[in-house]
Amino acid sequence: MNLFHTKYLVFLILVLFAAFLPMYIGEYWQYVLTIAFFYAILAASWNLLSGYTGLFSLGHHSFGMIGAYTSTLLMTKAGIPFWMSIPAGILLTMLMSSLMGIMCLRVSGLYLALITWAFAEVARNYFRLHYTFTGGDRGLESPLLFGTIQPTPYYYLFLGLLIATIILIVLIMRSRIGYYLKAIRDDSIAARSMGVNIVRYKIFAFAVSSGLAGMAGAFYGHSIGLISPIMGDFNEMAMIIIFVVIGGIRTMPGPVIGAIAVRILMELLRAQSEVRILILSLLVIIIMRFFNGGLLELYRQIKQWINKDKNGGTSAYHEIETPKQGES
Amino acid sequence: MDLHLFSQFLISGLIMGVLYCLMSMGINFIYGIMKVINWSMGEFFMIGAFIQYLLLESFIGAEYWYIGVIISACAVFVLGALVQVILIKPMFVGIIEAKMEYVTIITISLAIFLRNLALLIGGPYIYTPPDYAKPTQLLTLPLSGNRLVAFIGALVLLGLFYFFIKKSWTGKAFQGVAQNRAGVQTSGVNVLRYDMLAFGLGTALAGAGGALMAPIFSVHPLCGLAPTIRGFEIIVIAGLGSIPGILVAGLLLGFAESLGSAFISPSFVDIYGFILLVIVLSIKPYGMFGKAERTV
Repeated sequence: MNLFHTKYLVFLILVLFAAFLPMYIGEYWQYVLTIAFFYAILAASWNLLSGYTGLFSLGHHSFGMIGAYTSTLLMTKAGIPFWMSIPAGILLTMLMSSLMGIMCLRVSGLYLALITWAFAEVARNYFRLHYTFTGGDRGLESPLLFGTIQPTPYYYLFLGLLIATIILIVLIMRSRIGYYLKAIRDDSIAARSMGVNIVRYKIFAFAVSSGLAGMAGAFYGHSIGLISPIMGDFNEMAMIIIFVVIGGIRTMPGPVIGAIAVRILMELLRAQSEVRILILSLLVIIIMRFFNGGLLELYRQIKQWINKDKNGGTSAYHEIETPKQGES
Repeated sequence: MDLHLFSQFLISGLIMGVLYCLMSMGINFIYGIMKVINWSMGEFFMIGAFIQYLLLESFIGAEYWYIGVIISACAVFVLGALVQVILIKPMFVGIIEAKMEYVTIITISLAIFLRNLALLIGGPYIYTPPDYAKPTQLLTLPLSGNRLVAFIGALVLLGLFYFFIKKSWTGKAFQGVAQNRAGVQTSGVNVLRYDMLAFGLGTALAGAGGALMAPIFSVHPLCGLAPTIRGFEIIVIAGLGSIPGILVAGLLLGFAESLGSAFISPSFVDIYGFILLVIVLSIKPYGMFGKAERTV
């Protein structure tokens, strides 16, 4: 593995840039970027589950909500400190998503999407309707992690979480497991005949990606100070899909770039808050309809058009996914 | 609990079950022909309800509601056919790698788009159209006239649809497309045109449902959500692509919801359907009447 590859250098420069950024921008934009990092974690982990492994889940946002509620309820009702309640939230989401994975093992494709969607709606309705315990639509106040609403520490917290998530996903996708996951997506029967334990790795993909979502949700609750069933609204799932599709599905940097870029765009369009979702959903339809690979595909096409390079592949992920000789 | 109240819950379950069937019939029909799930079904339901409300309030009076149902179904049919031609057709003529993913993302974005468009045009208000009929009585049981009308309307629509599919030439061509797309092309059926018709018809069923149920569910940008959830639950319980299964599962869901809210707690009414779904899926993973799809 060549550590001085261009990709690592760009990643390092971006991390350094993000680390020094809070000195130059105001608290408002730090807050905006914190939220953007939260969504970037959700988008990247959804990409692991649905992009790379091909398990098209529509319940990813609800795992973030479950993580947030678990951690907050444990703290406020049972008086458990942070360092135990947040791991408890992550463990519970991993457990629930593993159960979901087991339930979805025998089904694929559309059934999986339908079942995860039904699960997400039920989870949201549970938190809405059982209001004596969860606070219902009014929301639930969550204790702040650093005891302050000043956004700078939360900015660094979520930056760290995002970097950890990216590194974890890159490590998984570069290891043997990553090839198993991609094999499951491409042809699960062929994968099984080659000796891949598809039961184990499907559940693994569910548990890891939902655990990441639960972690992001738990920390999100403790940084914002208020959680509500809005986190489990279907619009949130649609936003995750929008981020991933705009950035480029099945690419490593795509979801992260998509999430951060779209969140910043949404803040700039805050004055026209009714039309921004309209514009974004229209954008996704156009991207899916005409360039089936998001921003990165557009970039690749432009690059190809400039170079007049004739030996381009059919889509963006061939370039990124194919392991180069001597790299891994 | 006495028998009187119990039978009232049974009847309410029966009525709601048939109404949910109408919704899932459209989803199931589109799946049967094109093998895709239309996630924006609830938004077509909402558009049907909005058109009906506009018609009743400003153009035709409340007494001609049945004409309004027909007009809104036709309007939604045209809209659905347009959506199919512009957005879904490339799946069959263009080269798209992950077809399931493409349709899911496109229809979800379309749902968000239409929902927010309705919010932009209509505002976050809840509109209530005039009642279709006065409250009536069935023997000794009081019964809401709107529900009775919607129940009868849904039965009529389901019956018409069934006869259309089973008896007419077009319906037989639809059966052929559902069974074997390549084979039916050799006998001169233009599959792409039937795709368009099927998408239009499926969404028109949802639009007619929205127009029929407008006084029950009210008219607002999210009014299609609850019926769509039930519609999806029903087709998962029944198994994709099974018409008698949908009737059984719809009634089962209606009874489960009304009896659950009677005996357990009315506030968790959205969860009973999912519990039923989990029970069915853990016994038969492809639904009660579904066939295992080929996993290649």
